[in-house]
Amino acid sequence: MTQSAPSLRELLRAIAYEANRTVGGGLVSIELLRRRFTASGWLDAASHGVFIAVSRFTPGTVVLAYVVMLGWRFHRWRGALPALAAASVPASLIVLALAATLAQIDRYAAVRALLAVGILVAGVLVLGSAWHLIRPYLANTEGPPKGGHYVNSRVRVLVVGAIAVALVLLGATPVRVLLVAAVVSMALPPPDSNHGTPEGVPYERQ
Amino acid sequence: MNPLLIYLLLLKATMTSFAGMGSLPQIRQDFVETHEAISDEQLSQAVLVGRATIGPMGAYVVAVGYFAGGWQGAIAGWLAMITPALVAIPILTLIQRWLHLRRIRAAVDGVIIASAVLLVGSGAALAVDAVQQLLRLKS
Repeated sequence: MTQSAPSLRELLRAIAYEANRTVGGGLVSIELLRRRFTASGWLDAASHGVFIAVSRFTPGTVVLAYVVMLGWRFHRWRGALPALAAASVPASLIVLALAATLAQIDRYAAVRALLAVGILVAGVLVLGSAWHLIRPYLANTEGPPKGGHYVNSRVRVLVVGAIAVALVLLGATPVRVLLVAAVVSMALPPPDSNHGTPEGVPYERQ
Repeated sequence: MNPLLIYLLLLKATMTSFAGMGSLPQIRQDFVETHEAISDEQLSQAVLVGRATIGPMGAYVVAVGYFAGGWQGAIAGWLAMITPALVAIPILTLIQRWLHLRRIRAAVDGVIIASAVLLVGSGAALAVDAVQQLLRLKS
């Protein structure tokens, strides 16, 4: 669970910096935010997982939903609204400036090369983010207690992951993939307690 | 174009999409085809600017708003980009309330696992795109 909470100022500074320092889109920013917040002891892997799940089901830009939840978690509305502004205003101002000046930013080969390298780094960061999400499930090898039966987390990853991959290959939209994954995972026998689930997942009522 | 109309049209697009560029088809339909407020070239410029800029790719709607209605349109675009994010709070509150239920936490597990799969797809696509761009520059 979270060990400490940032002040409003620390929260906004971290969000403004991490959400506005790379190209490649919001998924990269989410990974940078996860690193910053977990390194500071403000967020654990389980809460990050829940935030990812919710932000995927929230319409619009994924990273903005993620930062709203970060702000809400620590300072309720006083944190959520400024967090939203901190994540979106700097990028919006740059977009506006570029649109207003109609800068032909891809005219120069050096600029295109820099952008390509930036996007490559972004791709690697996004792949790292996927690994951090799935790792707690793979690390848990605990099976059901004697007499009990449920699907442990590795089997759940295998079944749900295979179905998700198949749906992606069939061209299903992300929302459909997530909905089917939720239904399939619900249908697999869940544990009675925290047996067989990733350590630290906030399954107690909050 | 009226800023309120810009906001409502962009909000329709952002509220019905679930990724940064997911709103593009709806925006093209409304702004280029139906209302003819911007051209295809301007829409392409907006997408290019959004993609080349730091931060969320969804910020390209700010450029769309600017092309359609100047500074007021840009503000309308920004508001349309951030408004859907507030929906996350009631969803999070509901999930936290129900998370002690075994089936609900299993469903959340499923969404997290599927999110990881989708992330692999997005990350790989970004990496492939970057390598292709670098190869084109080299040739």
